[in-house]
Amino acid sequence: MRTWPRTVVLLAILAVVLYPLVWMVGTSFKSQAEIVNNIGLVPREFTPGNFARGWTNFDVSFGRFFLNNAMVSLLTVVGNAVSCLLAAYAFARLRFRLRRLWFAVMIGTLLLPGHVLIVPQYILFRTFGWVGGNWPYLPLLVPQFLATEAFFVFLMVQFMRGIPRELDEAAKIDGASSFTVFFHVILPLSRPALVTTAIFSFIWTWNDFFRQLVYLSDLEDYTVPVALTLFIDSTSESAVGPMFAMSLLSLVPVFLFFVAFQRLLVEGINTSGLKG
Amino acid sequence: MALRTEPAPARSSEPVNRTPAAKRGSGRRHDRDEVAGYVFLSPWLLGLMGVTAIPMLLSLYLSFTNYDVLSPLSEVEFVGWANYRRMFTSDPSYLHSVRVTLSFALIAVPLKLATALGVALLLNRAFRGVGVFRGLFYLPSLLGGSVALAIVWVNVFNREGAFNSLLAVFGIEGAPWVNDPRFALETLMVLAIWQFGAPMVIFLAGLKQVPLELYEAASVDGAGAWRKFFHVTLPMLSPVIFFNLVLETINGFQGFTSAFVLSNGTGGPVDATLMYTLNLYLTGFTELEMGYASAMAWVFLVAIALITTLLFATGRFWVHYSDAEDR
Amino acid sequence: MRLASTEVATRTTRDHRTRYPAGRLGRGLLAAALALPLMLGAAACGKDGGTTTDPNAPVELSFFWWGGEARAKLTEDALALYTKKHPNVTFKKTWQANQGYFDKLATLTAGGAAPDIFQIDDNFLTEYAARNVTLDLKPYQDKGKLDLSKFPPSLAQYGVVDGKLAGVAFGENTQGLVYNKTLLQKHSLPDPTTGMSWADFISWAENVSKTTKVPGTMDPSADYKAFWLWLRQQGKDLYKGNQLGFTEQDVTAWFDLWKGARARGATPTPDVIHEGNATDISKQLVVTGKAATSWVWANQMPELKKSTKDELGVIAYPGDPTAQWARASMYFSVFRNSPHKDVAVDVVNFLANDLEAGKVLGTERGLPSNLDIRRTVADSVTDTSMKLSIQIETELGTKFGPSPQVPLKGHSKVRSELIKAAEEVQFGRQTPAASAAAFFAACKAAIGT
Repeated sequence: MRTWPRTVVLLAILAVVLYPLVWMVGTSFKSQAEIVNNIGLVPREFTPGNFARGWTNFDVSFGRFFLNNAMVSLLTVVGNAVSCLLAAYAFARLRFRLRRLWFAVMIGTLLLPGHVLIVPQYILFRTFGWVGGNWPYLPLLVPQFLATEAFFVFLMVQFMRGIPRELDEAAKIDGASSFTVFFHVILPLSRPALVTTAIFSFIWTWNDFFRQLVYLSDLEDYTVPVALTLFIDSTSESAVGPMFAMSLLSLVPVFLFFVAFQRLLVEGINTSGLKG
Repeated sequence: MALRTEPAPARSSEPVNRTPAAKRGSGRRHDRDEVAGYVFLSPWLLGLMGVTAIPMLLSLYLSFTNYDVLSPLSEVEFVGWANYRRMFTSDPSYLHSVRVTLSFALIAVPLKLATALGVALLLNRAFRGVGVFRGLFYLPSLLGGSVALAIVWVNVFNREGAFNSLLAVFGIEGAPWVNDPRFALETLMVLAIWQFGAPMVIFLAGLKQVPLELYEAASVDGAGAWRKFFHVTLPMLSPVIFFNLVLETINGFQGFTSAFVLSNGTGGPVDATLMYTLNLYLTGFTELEMGYASAMAWVFLVAIALITTLLFATGRFWVHYSDAEDR
Repeated sequence: MRLASTEVATRTTRDHRTRYPAGRLGRGLLAAALALPLMLGAAACGKDGGTTTDPNAPVELSFFWWGGEARAKLTEDALALYTKKHPNVTFKKTWQANQGYFDKLATLTAGGAAPDIFQIDDNFLTEYAARNVTLDLKPYQDKGKLDLSKFPPSLAQYGVVDGKLAGVAFGENTQGLVYNKTLLQKHSLPDPTTGMSWADFISWAENVSKTTKVPGTMDPSADYKAFWLWLRQQGKDLYKGNQLGFTEQDVTAWFDLWKGARARGATPTPDVIHEGNATDISKQLVVTGKAATSWVWANQMPELKKSTKDELGVIAYPGDPTAQWARASMYFSVFRNSPHKDVAVDVVNFLANDLEAGKVLGTERGLPSNLDIRRTVADSVTDTSMKLSIQIETELGTKFGPSPQVPLKGHSKVRSELIKAAEEVQFGRQTPAASAAAFFAACKAAIGT
């Protein structure tokens, strides 16, 4: 009785939110001529061939792009989760000289528009020797293991500051060092923060176009965002149908990843036991 | 920075040492924090020095030059403050992009946050299929800035699009929203708000971190749903609200991808959607005036830093941290 | 007591400063960052590549182009032909869509890693040539290593910037007015014809709008190639030397012309015009059904055909067709610092002049520049739209006047400013004169005069 108004509201919002996506699904089944001409939801000519064509269009099957993307995304998730958690603990819980300065610098790195960094970073990475070669993903991955995504550091700091300090104190009175406090108090309670970081990290990498474009040169190394643009060259070809089909398909792993991980957000944290 | 005026170790010959053992212990713990602090911070410091700081400082240097990307770095000419002067005195597109960005951020950000919080609260219960619901609301954010999304948006919001068909049901004749300079920015705002899934997820995570016993205690005290919301949920959620506010504000001002794909990289029609970072990108990469673009970037950084500092300063008054520290 | 604590405080402060060299670290970092550009710059431009003297040493050339999957296949096949003839030469091929291509090329160049051979067009040729990124191919042409003799002279000339041959034209192109034949036939309306005057054309379009309820023509006032042609038909040009080749009054007249056309209903409403102002093939109004005519390049006909079920026809733009010219739809340039310059030039020469390679590459990039190859390839084309576009280009080609000079540095900005200025007038936000003035000023700033 009190749940159904909630459900109705949710469904209404959902309908509005999902309409564009439903449109995408419909369009991915339209033929080239129809996509350009018919803007209705339902295709007049059902063209499932878009999916097959999209998958096999290039010398390399689209599946390869998915694999590349998965690898880059998963490694990024691990790198981010670990390095940002360490840095966040330092900012949130430890006191040391210049902490505030470094925190301000960290926030500062969030603020500079990325486009002016691309060229200097490219030059820098080339000097390091990370560009090209047999495994071109180094420039995309190494920074992730060095907590360069200030977004996640800040996110985790905020989450950690929601954890009552009494728990730390309790552990310290028992003689725990900062390291022990980290492993036994903070880490277990940081699950929501880690899950959120994992989700966002995965998705951002899955959608990051420009940096992947700059550092990857061989077709086999391309990732999904880059590959999706290959369907449409504004001056020559316009394979819009297969592009829509593959865009939809590329949503599936991300969606699944999200649904799987958000389940870890289900239980609330009951800290009464820890307070002792 | 608070300076601790603890006695330096060598001077503990002071006989009147009224500091209890625990406090002296805290002095030792304090030293250990220094080591631990830098140990935990080391990956970040390494990343900062190796990956972020040098390009940032390089771009700062370039903002005082006429760097054009194609000429080697060793051949750039120093032009002093010329780029900065140009921005504010002889570049109407630049000032226009500032206006566009301000309008966008001031409207889209609060609306997006409100929607995200509202839906997060609705989805905070565990009911069957809640995971799928959450995923579905999050789907729009997953599309990022794909070309496909741009095509969809244009087709929904142009003259013959679905939105106008909907309005026609109510007898309203719609404008060609996305192709109309008067409304193109608003369609961009709708796009941004539509992708509220990201802050929604963060709110959800934050809601999950509110200790359940607080709600129980409130119930015991006889509090109803609204009072629980205002006196338990909001305060406990305030660090996360603050985080979302800061980040969405920064993102709002930095908005690039949606504007880029929606306007086909032009900021059109007639610069109606020329966001600051889009203008910056066009200046740096299409017009190859990277020195000027770098100057724009640093002006942006300073402006956003000021806004962020303002947010942090006001946060002192309404953000409640469980770790009871002065921040 | 208080004194003692202040003493202690200052001592701690002093200790702090010496114990933690953060300040020194910061200063050192700044110094390094300032010195770094010079170091990196030196590293990036250090190698002014020596050429390999042993012709049989294994060489790997990096080759970068934009296009779709079809073009990728053809290009790879053509390069494979070269490798067959010169087994020691292999290629590292990179291709992508147009979106982001020049951003990436610029970034690679900045890092000193520009590809040995790269595709480029007249929007950026001057930008790259003027900054010495492209190799001057004239010495090779003079020595006979690069053969442009079979090219139409104006096409070969269209790659010359500041007296240096910056790129070899691949794919000849010219303006093409594409119209919807099916629609016209359905309403028994006449096709537009080459040589129609602008006034006649607008009247024709007005008639089409009234009869078919579909606007007769897309409004090309934002389109630089239509404006360029219109200028040339009056004896002016887009650029003359280092300056603009037109006056503010010309722009006003151009905007006025189309304001009139819009008022008469010959064109769609401004919001639809805005959709058509995008350069994407799939957005052209003639295929989305929102106008009966679109202003494109003639070799885009076959792709346009794929987006509609209607039959399409193509003619020259209105006005005197001799003012149209042989435009290079794209070039291949060689990186000036390539360590394998000679081989690279040889590859380009092969792709341009070898009959087999020419047949493989076909007309996908435009009409082959080498006239002999063009004749052979044109005969073997089966696709009707392609045949049509080849036919119109060949017809017009006989009448072309001399090509204009390659666009100046800042051309991209001129193009985008034109779109902005035209749209201001289209949406009725500014008068033609006011918008023309703003546009003209912006152009002068863009090319640096």
